[in-house]
Amino acid sequence: MATLVQKKSPVWPWIVMAIAGLVTFVAAMTVPPDAVQGQLSRIMYVHVPSAWLAYLSFGVTMIASGIYLWKRDLEWDRRAHASAEIGVFFTGLAIALGMIWGKSTWGTWWTWDARLTLTAIMFFVYLGYLALRRTTDDMDARAKRAAVMGILAIVQIPLVHFSVIWWQTLHQPPSIIKPEGPDMDTVMVLTLLTAVASFTVMYIAMMVKRVELARLEDAVLIAEQTNTGPAAGEAVVAPDLSGGA
Amino acid sequence: MTRTSFWTQAMAITKRDVMRERRSGEVLWVTLPFGAIALLLIPIAIGTDRPTLRAIGVGMFWVIVMLFGVLIAVRQAHTESQAQRDVVALTGIDPAAGYVGRVIASFMFLIGFEVVLAVVTVALYDVPLDGWAWMPLVMVLVGAGLSLLGTLAASIVSTGRSASALVPLLVAPLSVPLLIGATQTFEALRLGRSSLTWTLMMVIVILLLAIAGVMSARTLQES
Repeated sequence: MATLVQKKSPVWPWIVMAIAGLVTFVAAMTVPPDAVQGQLSRIMYVHVPSAWLAYLSFGVTMIASGIYLWKRDLEWDRRAHASAEIGVFFTGLAIALGMIWGKSTWGTWWTWDARLTLTAIMFFVYLGYLALRRTTDDMDARAKRAAVMGILAIVQIPLVHFSVIWWQTLHQPPSIIKPEGPDMDTVMVLTLLTAVASFTVMYIAMMVKRVELARLEDAVLIAEQTNTGPAAGEAVVAPDLSGGA
Repeated sequence: MTRTSFWTQAMAITKRDVMRERRSGEVLWVTLPFGAIALLLIPIAIGTDRPTLRAIGVGMFWVIVMLFGVLIAVRQAHTESQAQRDVVALTGIDPAAGYVGRVIASFMFLIGFEVVLAVVTVALYDVPLDGWAWMPLVMVLVGAGLSLLGTLAASIVSTGRSASALVPLLVAPLSVPLLIGATQTFEALRLGRSSLTWTLMMVIVILLLAIAGVMSARTLQES
């Protein structure tokens, strides 16, 4: 347990997160508004990086799960867990921001678009992954089961990503990564890439703090499991069976 | 001591599951009528307009197959206790053979389930029979995919807390590629296009699930 609890928690991830958040905010607020969508287009500078982080997080979950199964080192399981949790948060954020944008642009909070629906399904798949982790307190069993699920769940990402190409429904197809180059203004592309880079740095900082928290959670679990003290504390004493002799 | 082959071990597990179903009748007397009732309830909820029912019939059939088929594919999560799993493990059965055996049993039940529900759907929804020559192939692919996925999910969750509730939560969203493949195959046929891409997608998903299930069987048995 001593190796799980660090004496000094690093502060730099908080500073990095604050700076990355500030950079994204300034970039998104200073870029000129879109000619058609106006100020509403600023949502894109958080929505797109959130979606990117969701992919990145779930990709890292898969890789960390694979390495756990190979090395059987619980640290990799913690990384897979931390990444999945961050991924679920950013998937939820991407969906919520998309809905706000959709209400103003499409006139509805939700539409049965392939990208939207599959993203929501991906969100539930990883919620299932997080729920799976709560089914047992045995850390090794939990890690093994979660690792298989972490690898299996990755099948959702290509489905979500290519959905805009396969079905061509309401959600726009890729605007930046395409053979003929980006079809956006250069300033907007650079701002978007800045936001994506800031979010990626933020993800690294969040991972450091979340893995640290996971270590503490495991330390508490080990302490609870190895606690050999009396079940009811000192308030209850064993009955005297000697008959007062 | 003679060593039994992989397939002999797998078949032994299949026979056990078939025998268990013969005794309990869970698929035949519970899940199958439940699925048929769901097909009966949908028109009551959305209206009994015949053109609408004809239009949605095939889609509804696959949705019911997916949602209720999950119950068939994951039934071992709540019918098999940890003690039973331990006994099977102590017999020395290859975990991969155990996985394949359970998949074969689920596959057989799912095919029966799909065939009966297909007849019910045609009868209740007056579904046009265009492109139904593809039906057996798509049924086999969906049955194989669901049984592979459900058995794998049941092995992952095993006997943890809320196991029986969690398995459908894991399987239902992950079965989406199969649902898309099945519905889009018939949509492509209806529009006069090739459905080969969708069939191929289902085959790839099935292969990936089979590899994942066999490769993770030992790890999951140890967990």
